[in-house]
Amino acid sequence: MISLRHVQKNFGARLAVDQLDLEVQHGEIFGLLGHNGAGKSTAIGMMLGQVWPTGGDIRICGFDVTVQRQHALKKVGAIFEAPVFYDYLSGWRNLEILSHYTAPTPAKRIREVIDWVGLTGREKSKVRTYSHGMRARLALAQALLPQPELLILDEPSDGLDPEGIHEMRQTILRLHQEFGLTILLSSHLLNEVEQLCTRIAVLNRGKKVFDGTLAEATQKQNWVRLRVGNFDSAIEQLRAAELISGARDQKLISLNDGVGTDQIVSFLVGRGMAVFEIAPQDETLEDFYLELMKPRAH
Amino acid sequence: MFFYQLKNELWKLFGKKRTYMGFLMLLLAQLLIVGLLRYYPPAHHSIARTVERSGFIGERYLSMLTIATIMAVVLAYTMLPLYVALIGGDLVSKEAEDGTLRMILSRPVSRVRLLCLKWLAGFVFAIVLVLALASGGMFFCGLFFPVDGGLFAQVPGQDLGIFNFADGLGRFFLAHIFLIVKAGTIMSLAFMFSCFNMKPAAAAILALSLILLDRILMEIPYFQDLKECFLSYHLNIWQVFFQPHIPWWQVGESTGILFGFNLTFLIIGLAVFQVRDIKS
Repeated sequence: MISLRHVQKNFGARLAVDQLDLEVQHGEIFGLLGHNGAGKSTAIGMMLGQVWPTGGDIRICGFDVTVQRQHALKKVGAIFEAPVFYDYLSGWRNLEILSHYTAPTPAKRIREVIDWVGLTGREKSKVRTYSHGMRARLALAQALLPQPELLILDEPSDGLDPEGIHEMRQTILRLHQEFGLTILLSSHLLNEVEQLCTRIAVLNRGKKVFDGTLAEATQKQNWVRLRVGNFDSAIEQLRAAELISGARDQKLISLNDGVGTDQIVSFLVGRGMAVFEIAPQDETLEDFYLELMKPRAH
Repeated sequence: MFFYQLKNELWKLFGKKRTYMGFLMLLLAQLLIVGLLRYYPPAHHSIARTVERSGFIGERYLSMLTIATIMAVVLAYTMLPLYVALIGGDLVSKEAEDGTLRMILSRPVSRVRLLCLKWLAGFVFAIVLVLALASGGMFFCGLFFPVDGGLFAQVPGQDLGIFNFADGLGRFFLAHIFLIVKAGTIMSLAFMFSCFNMKPAAAAILALSLILLDRILMEIPYFQDLKECFLSYHLNIWQVFFQPHIPWWQVGESTGILFGFNLTFLIIGLAVFQVRDIKS
């Protein structure tokens, strides 16, 4: 559904997106992660033909978005952070206006979508009277009107309260399950991404630093929690015996391939060290993400 | 489809209160001018004396059409450019500033089509504003001055125009049709600037500054030979309908030139908007 090849974007001298390759397959919920200014919104802007790429190839639904934008976006819906509307018009009128940029939309379809997002009864009120949650639902309604196959969500939970975030999460899951939509979700909320996405890509300063399944991300390094009498001495000896590849935080070790925790215990006990605890450390997406974001020495 | 989209652009434009600010202020200005001309004796005595100096009966020409024309000339130089520039400057940059442009451009609509729709909506606004100027002028002047009197038009730099009621009415409406062209051109200029990455107010101020500068340059006596090169000369073509003889060749030439200016402003706006990155 989405294919980016060597996409680059420069704003003057600033490199916003650097040689980005991305593939989002039909039917998946794909998470796009990254800090503020990492290039997520710029990448989404390029996918929607709002931002011109400096280089590379962007295909949406099989069409090159820079030359066949109308075809590429025919079956695409999008929601942006802090959704904005024509506040002085009603929700209904807003939907009518926005949907007509895709194709004439019958009132029946607008009514259907309003029901689906739960705005029935408030559709004729001016948008300025809507709460943030209602605006989010209206944003969802406008994205669903063209009966999209691909939904691009740029920080859809931004500014929502915990109930709103939960509701948005449930809605995204419903959309995926009921309509089989392909969803690209850009978010800061790692918890949200962890619960929704099957695959993720992480951007750091415009560069993709990870692309894979959530399982790959959380099991990327096999960390084991170790509590011993003298951690530093134990690490020194385990390294010398080539049983571990790394250690951190005075409690975690990373085992070499093929090494089990039983070998570590017998090795340390054999050298007279007391082992109080050894257990696999569950790596969360947050741990993984923070590790990726750490500046590395070149 | 195009009709639906244009209708929606008009909804957006005429759905907000600030659009009506221009209409309201225009009507208030008309009421104020007509009230002063009616109840401040030196003003209407002065008009009557000017008519009489030309050999006509002052009372006969101190009429709805004469006063409405005086108002039209004053307002066409002041408030009309201001309001059309404000609306033209808003059309693209306000949506970019608010973020609604990003919502629109996530739809499969081309930027060229979107701008053409917006420009047309702006032109419709210019038409409606000029119609309000004409009908408001007639209405208020009709309340305070005789309706069926002739038209006495004294436009600076032109021969005196003196017409009976029927001819005067025709001239008045013809002039307003061409006043639409002036309003539309100023709107187009502001619209062009609004396609750049700038604030709506900046687009309007830039357009008005250019119109003012053009006018000032045209009025400098040393540049009199060049006056046909200035935009203001062609923008004021609507005034020639108050001359005894209408110079149709000049009307045709200026209309063609203004059409060219409009097209140029639109094309520059399109070109700039086409290459712009639309970001939040």
